[in-house]
Amino acid sequence: MAEMWISMGPQHPMTHGLWTLKVKVDGETVVDTEPDLGYIHRGVEKICEARDFTKITTYCDRLCYASANTWSHSYIYSAEDLLEVEVPERAEFIRVIAVELQRIASHLMWLGAYCPDVGNLTGMVWCLREREMMMDLLQELGGSRMHYNFPRVGGVKRDLPIGFSMRCRAKLSLFLERIQEYEALLDESTIFLVRTQGVGYAKPEEMVNHGVTGPNVRAGGVNYDVRWAHPYSVYDQLDWEVAVERPSIKGADNYDRYRVRVEEMRQSALMTLDALNKIPGGAETHYAEGDEKILSKAPVRAPEGATGFHHFEDSRGESMFYLVGGGDGRGKNPYRCSIRSPMFITLPYASKCMIGYKVADIPSIMGSFDPCIGETDR
Amino acid sequence: MAMKTRADFAEESAQQAVDELLTRWSGTSLSAEVCNHSSGFKRPFVRIECPRNHWRAVAKHLRFELGVDHCSMITGIHWPEGADDRKWEVVVHLMRMNVTNPPERGGWTEQVIHDAEILQDDDVPMEFEVRIGIPDTTRPSVQSVQEVWVGADWNEKETWDLVGIDFEGHEKMRRVLQPHDTPPGYHPLQKQHKIRYHDFEEMYDDAQGFGRKPVDLGKIK
Repeated sequence: MAEMWISMGPQHPMTHGLWTLKVKVDGETVVDTEPDLGYIHRGVEKICEARDFTKITTYCDRLCYASANTWSHSYIYSAEDLLEVEVPERAEFIRVIAVELQRIASHLMWLGAYCPDVGNLTGMVWCLREREMMMDLLQELGGSRMHYNFPRVGGVKRDLPIGFSMRCRAKLSLFLERIQEYEALLDESTIFLVRTQGVGYAKPEEMVNHGVTGPNVRAGGVNYDVRWAHPYSVYDQLDWEVAVERPSIKGADNYDRYRVRVEEMRQSALMTLDALNKIPGGAETHYAEGDEKILSKAPVRAPEGATGFHHFEDSRGESMFYLVGGGDGRGKNPYRCSIRSPMFITLPYASKCMIGYKVADIPSIMGSFDPCIGETDR
Repeated sequence: MAMKTRADFAEESAQQAVDELLTRWSGTSLSAEVCNHSSGFKRPFVRIECPRNHWRAVAKHLRFELGVDHCSMITGIHWPEGADDRKWEVVVHLMRMNVTNPPERGGWTEQVIHDAEILQDDDVPMEFEVRIGIPDTTRPSVQSVQEVWVGADWNEKETWDLVGIDFEGHEKMRRVLQPHDTPPGYHPLQKQHKIRYHDFEEMYDDAQGFGRKPVDLGKIK
């Protein structure tokens, strides 16, 4: 049969954002693909060269609207590497709480978007309902609903609010029960299983060679996680296990990628509960803004030639900022701010992953990799 | 209970990688050293200064003999006021992740679960930073490592698109983040392109733009 190219996007439910997937089809079979990105390129890296280190955090929040806290924290750790700042331990615990709640919210957003992709609309409503609880908790912490601007170079913006730990514990224990409802809903839904199982196989070694990281690799049966491999923050003091799936011999399919994210949400919830128990000074203590227990002093300028980078476990894989000091304002701005977006590297791989499957499998495979175009295009 | 890699083993492992690199490339100007992150977590990583003409060979050495299996990021920097041999710079971040396919037993796979506490020598996950300086030129380029790590492909596309550093031997180079009809030679992260905010704090000092200076009139916002 004659082969032809068709364009899926920029406006297509499969894209989960704004980009085009050009697909070469032979009948119903995908023969070749080519992603076309850049529709919402905002030039964040250039803008950051004209901002000082504290102001950049707001731009990092907006890299990914579903996972703002992980991105701003990813930046903050790099900035601390550049400016040589040590963070008080209590602030690290608060950061873990903020990041892990955000990870849950991000995975819920993913699952909520993925369920309708594969024909289960109920899942979306359920997931967004629980995401609302996480958003409320994060709003208590950061003061805003989606873009929190929460971390500071040297600590966090403010301490846990009074009563936060009580509400957080209540909501997370409710959430841990609700996860079982998702599993009951999805693992027994024929439509969901038919469209996810046996579709979109990917092997871990191949994924790593293509630059894919995070939950997608862990779905392939390897427990690689930046949080223990290049340890940062206080993850080693908390009680959690890396979520790993056990794939079939062909590799991880869409179903494995769904399973690993659900398990990761559970681990994040347990980790947050544990952090509330172990936080030095107690979760019910409230230090004023700028107290040395939650914010240490940090220099404003970075000398020329200094560099800072930090690999960070984002909810979609390994994110990284590479900062070079000595920019405008006698070092107040970075000379260069380079962003490693996990999805920018994963999208081309996911596009190649669907070769050989049917056109109807494209939304299912693409959605299972959790694309986020805000961070991809930067 | 959560785990983490041991700092002393990581230090040893980084030193071993450095020794191996220095022995292998002793005849060239390649230099390698163990550095430590300067934030609160003083983790070691390997920093390599790589001569431009050896980059692909060094990459193959890293990939196939030192087991560096993941190309995390490739980025470029334009230093118009930098040293003569470093007017441009390519910075590559690599990771040794030691990810293997899960072994197969009787039609089933077994998960690969590393115990971080006991990982030693080559098994320790390690970060590598490679810096490649490029002398003053209007057409900066380095060798492409697309064939060594597939993940380098889109990183190199992005670096060419935004910074304008070309990669010799890269197939299908094209614009990725900018529109396809961007004029040739326009690479926004080069330092001759200024955004208006560079000169003053518009957001805070002049949010309405009333105090806009005549010199700013022609500039792109």
